[in-house]
Amino acid sequence: MVSFHPDAKFLTDFAAGNLPLSEAICVAAHLEFCSKCRSHVQQLSDLGAQLMVRLEPQLTAADAADSDERQGFEQLMQRIDAGDTGMTVTPAPAEPARVSSANPLGLPRVVQKLAADGVQSLKWGQFGKSLRIAPIRIDKSSRETALYDIKAGGRMPEHEHRGEEITVLLKGSFSDAEGKYVKGDFVVRHAGERHQPTATLDTDCICLVSLEQPVKPSSFWYRLMEPFVQYRLSGLGN
Amino acid sequence: MDKKDDMETAASVHPGRSSTPDPWADNVRRVAANRDRAAFQELYKHFTPMIRAFLLKSMGAGANRSEAEEITQEVLIKVWNKAASFNSSKASVNTWIFTIARNTRIDFIRRNERNERKIDIEDIWHEPESPEPLVDLQQRRAEQVIKQAMATLPDEQLQVLYKAFMEGKSHNEVAEELSLPLGTVKSRIRLALNKMQILIDR
Repeated sequence: MVSFHPDAKFLTDFAAGNLPLSEAICVAAHLEFCSKCRSHVQQLSDLGAQLMVRLEPQLTAADAADSDERQGFEQLMQRIDAGDTGMTVTPAPAEPARVSSANPLGLPRVVQKLAADGVQSLKWGQFGKSLRIAPIRIDKSSRETALYDIKAGGRMPEHEHRGEEITVLLKGSFSDAEGKYVKGDFVVRHAGERHQPTATLDTDCICLVSLEQPVKPSSFWYRLMEPFVQYRLSGLGN
Repeated sequence: MDKKDDMETAASVHPGRSSTPDPWADNVRRVAANRDRAAFQELYKHFTPMIRAFLLKSMGAGANRSEAEEITQEVLIKVWNKAASFNSSKASVNTWIFTIARNTRIDFIRRNERNERKIDIEDIWHEPESPEPLVDLQQRRAEQVIKQAMATLPDEQLQVLYKAFMEGKSHNEVAEELSLPLGTVKSRIRLALNKMQILIDR
């Protein structure tokens, strides 16, 4: 059962449309596992709608006269009739796309879209025995975003965070000194926190990770490896 | 206040789905079922000024008036094209149109920053969908609670919500603009949400 959720700040910034893409993707992935947070986001959208309804209407000069408003409407309908809308009419939706059998790993829709040709086609880089990382390029300005695949029982190098790190568990489970995390959990670590996540023994663990700053590994060998890691990650980001 | 808003207020005295009709839901249904232009024109007349006001405030410094006008048109075209996906048991027309306007704004800002459009904004910010009927019913009640509680919020709480939702500012940006510690912005939003019975379990 999901027990770690995005806090009010994440959900509010998400519902208001102000969360940067990398973080928003993490929240969206969590929402697919968590009906409670989905309903919170819906309520926050209701709140946004109520604020919108209360806005002082902004009338253009054209709206001022009733005939001109009709003219604005006619122009809009002409665009629609001409098909000059850059989109097609949406038919009534079938079942909302959720985790389904066509998606054997049960990955959230947003992650499937990011890895359009399948998770296996991502460019995985192997780091040590039990960790593989596949960077996801969103856009130039976004945080470093990646899928991590930790082998069952595998241990990540202990590392310290230089900035905020969001981890959403997509498959399997892992634990660190703070607790055990399962599928759907949304785990935030802040700058200065150190941890050493370990995947549980029975299954591989796949996580979606959004990093504000590159992590600072605290063990000696990993520090030696770091320039290489950074090089590989940036090289893989295409 | 026009007649439809009066109806909505009167209905909100008796919570529950059957007694809280959404005055605009029927218009959207008629657009979906019959491509009903008269029904769409009423929606146009009612929602265009507020969509435009929202976009003018929230599109950021990069947007000028004609861009806001263009994006307003884009939102209205989506209302026409997506009418069939509107589900009145899951959201009110107000909320549905707000989410369309919000997503169109996010998309505009990304286009303006010349980002590659590798990912569709609507894959991240879905339009309202929620599974269980029970949740849907609670949802509609929650909407009435939000509406009523909003009228009682202190100005300082309303101000931070307004900046977040209508001006498109993150918590950090609101804190900076008002010269307040981030913690103060967070707690004002938290207090406001509690009054509206949102996220009270966190």
